[in-house]
Amino acid sequence: MADVKVKKECDPADAALIENRIKELCQQFPQGITDQVIQNDMPHLEATQRAMVINKLLSLGQLDLLRNSSGLLYRMKDAQAASKMKGSDNQEKLVYQIIEDAGNKGIWTRDMRFKSNLPLTEVNKILKNLESKKLIKAVKSVAASKKKVYMLYNVQPDRSVTGGAWYSDQDFESEFVEVLNQQCFKFLQSKAEVARDSKQSPMIQRNSSFATSHEVWKYISELGISKVDLSMEDIETILNTLIYDGKVEMTIIAAKEGTVGSVDGQMKLFRGVNPVIQPTGLVKTPCGLCPVFDECHEGGEISPSRCIYMTEWLNF
Amino acid sequence: MTAHEARLCGLLLREHFGEVVEKIGTHLLRSGAQNLRTIVNESGTPIDLVKKSLCVLMKHGACIFSVGRKGPGSPVEYQASCERILGILRYPRYIYTAKTLYNDTGELIVEELLQRGHMTMSSIVKMVADRLTHNMEEGRSIEYKEVVSTFSKLVETHFLQRCPPVSEAVPAVSTAPTIPGAAAAPASTAPPTAESFPDCYTVPDVSLVGRGKRRRSGEDAVMDQGTTKKAKMDGQTHGDEGIYWQVNFERFHLHFRDQTIISAVASKLDQTSSEIVRTMLRMSEVTTTPSASCTQALSANEIFRSLPANYSISRPILDQYLSLLVDDPMEFVGKTGDSGGGMYVVNLHRALTNLARATLESVVQERFGSRSARIFRLLLRKRHLEQKQVEDFAMIPAKEAKDMLYTLLSENLVLLQEIPKTPDHAPSRTFYLYTVNQLSTARMLLQHCYKTVANLIDRRLFQTKESKRLLEKSQRIEAIMASLQASGAEPEQLTEVEEMISAPEKQQLESLRHHINKLDSAENQVDETIFLLKSYVNSTAKTTR
Ligand code: SF4
Repeated sequence: MADVKVKKECDPADAALIENRIKELCQQFPQGITDQVIQNDMPHLEATQRAMVINKLLSLGQLDLLRNSSGLLYRMKDAQAASKMKGSDNQEKLVYQIIEDAGNKGIWTRDMRFKSNLPLTEVNKILKNLESKKLIKAVKSVAASKKKVYMLYNVQPDRSVTGGAWYSDQDFESEFVEVLNQQCFKFLQSKAEVARDSKQSPMIQRNSSFATSHEVWKYISELGISKVDLSMEDIETILNTLIYDGKVEMTIIAAKEGTVGSVDGQMKLFRGVNPVIQPTGLVKTPCGLCPVFDECHEGGEISPSRCIYMTEWLNF
Repeated sequence: MTAHEARLCGLLLREHFGEVVEKIGTHLLRSGAQNLRTIVNESGTPIDLVKKSLCVLMKHGACIFSVGRKGPGSPVEYQASCERILGILRYPRYIYTAKTLYNDTGELIVEELLQRGHMTMSSIVKMVADRLTHNMEEGRSIEYKEVVSTFSKLVETHFLQRCPPVSEAVPAVSTAPTIPGAAAAPASTAPPTAESFPDCYTVPDVSLVGRGKRRRSGEDAVMDQGTTKKAKMDGQTHGDEGIYWQVNFERFHLHFRDQTIISAVASKLDQTSSEIVRTMLRMSEVTTTPSASCTQALSANEIFRSLPANYSISRPILDQYLSLLVDDPMEFVGKTGDSGGGMYVVNLHRALTNLARATLESVVQERFGSRSARIFRLLLRKRHLEQKQVEDFAMIPAKEAKDMLYTLLSENLVLLQEIPKTPDHAPSRTFYLYTVNQLSTARMLLQHCYKTVANLIDRRLFQTKESKRLLEKSQRIEAIMASLQASGAEPEQLTEVEEMISAPEKQQLESLRHHINKLDSAENQVDETIFLLKSYVNSTAKTTR
């Protein structure tokens, strides 16, 4: 058991576990804990590892190092919040509380005002204050560009606020989306082509032209075109745009539990398809694309006889 | 009938029958059923011209007459058919189809019939034989018999039919006038169809022996009028006098519809699938009524037996193809049962609906770009969406999506529906849902098509008018050349005449020809769009009734 732990020494998840445990201990003994307490609690922990974790916590400013008669003492910097909040009045504490409750979704000034029953100017003053102490931060929401929401300083904003992978600084990265759209289609198309050229029976041909969302996801991840990590749902969103482009079809099949890429025993299959018709006759004429179609009358200001679109098209 | 349709009808009538017929035709279209006296008065045209115009229209089925609405004995009323007149636009396609199915002979038969409205079999055969002979090498000619056999085939496949006898047509309608008012109107607009007569597709026994005659060049002009022809024919009888034939447009349209479906299958799936669908359509040609929403069910066994011999696919492979067709979201083929190795139908109505949808999508795609088309397809698929949802599904930034939606909205391609949460319709408490109504969008685009064709014709007429002088000159010179050649003139003389047209003029003529061709083919292409949308609209009307 012990050596398993040792082997996992550099595992960050493990480090986090230890971190949490230490924090819990600190909470249990608000007056502070000694190194011995930690050793007793986690006997299998190596000294170096312990030191590493504690150092980290200290550098993050979550732990305080104190010295008393019995030696070194670690104490949670929780009191820290209080200490930072020192000198602040009840109103400030109230606002802080409200923001804390809002979690990673954040809260809007207006709502804060209602909840706290403070005048807007007062709320703004407090917010400025808290911001300068780096207790809270303002995040621009993608839902409305002018809307700022507040949340605690070390909280990771929710997807609905940042917009997820498709946003950088609340700007929708539409080029990125289009590039992914094209790449996904290329992948599916080449897959369909290989299937067609295989000269297998029609059923096999069709089935091998399908790709699961997981396969597409893997392909895109390996391409390395994305700076951010995309999830499989992200890729499915992109694949859906291809469906609306009329270039791809989707089928859902039942999959055995545990198959790669299956969700709730279902698997989504995508494949590139050919268009049913060529551009229709109407749009091959200038009138089919004409921006002034409704204003065009024979004998009028805009007329077929003198139409420049027609002239251009005829001379093409 | 809309203004666009009326304008197009007018242009078509003018092109084919001249201005007087145009005037009477459009007058009738606008006014609905009218009797002779009213037509004369309201159009301000001399009575003999009106009579002749009506005669021309009637010969081409563009106008029907019926006993007046005011009861028996009231004056006969005339009514123009918009649909038939618009059909003139499709003449090139009918002729071309006849050519692909039944070679040059078929082409000429249909062409002659379309040009003249209706004719007796014997006169068609003679005329076509003469024309074919004329195009052959010197000393060869074609037998009447061959033309007769092509003619019979066209009748057998229902592409040609007998005109309904007139004497029976009148009593069939005259039962209506006893019902006053509105009820009488539909009765008089529905003349007896040719199909309701038992002999509709029977070829009469005709005694026709001989061969096509070569025209001498001098006779050309007169022969074309057909007047001398008639005079000559009066001498002999062939036993089919009084039996007139016309082109069965309905049948051609069914053929076009099938072809459209087949080529869509070919482009979506592959050649073999399209061949299977073609086989299915061919097998059910006789058993399926024109208005059916799907073909008669066929078993896989039957289909297998009827596949063309050169399509060597095995039975299991056919089953695979069929189930792929059934799986395809375009729903061309449906499965109705399991007997006989599986029963299959071609979903005619579904196929038309889906093809019409693809057509609408392609219009949006070409006109507003692929991202607007994405939004359009999204709305077609999801029916009702709020703006935010559109942005999220289509992955288009809010600002652009809004822009595209508003553009589509202002072009009436999408609709905006308000669903208030409270009775006061306050905007903040209202859902705004975007949606697309496929049928009404198709109807609107159909009108666009009519206007577009009219624009193209206008432009063509304008181009010809602009170069009228030049065209006349070149015709004159060609005539001179021909007569000089015939009289065996010196080569120098010929070049001299030829040089009367200067190089820039030649170039101008060349580009004119190019322009006219381009406009012509564009007209035909737009007609294909018209055909598809119209078939979809008609088929929907039939299935919802
Ligand atoms: S004729 Fe010219 S101006 Fe008129 S609708 Fe066509 S393209 Fe537009």
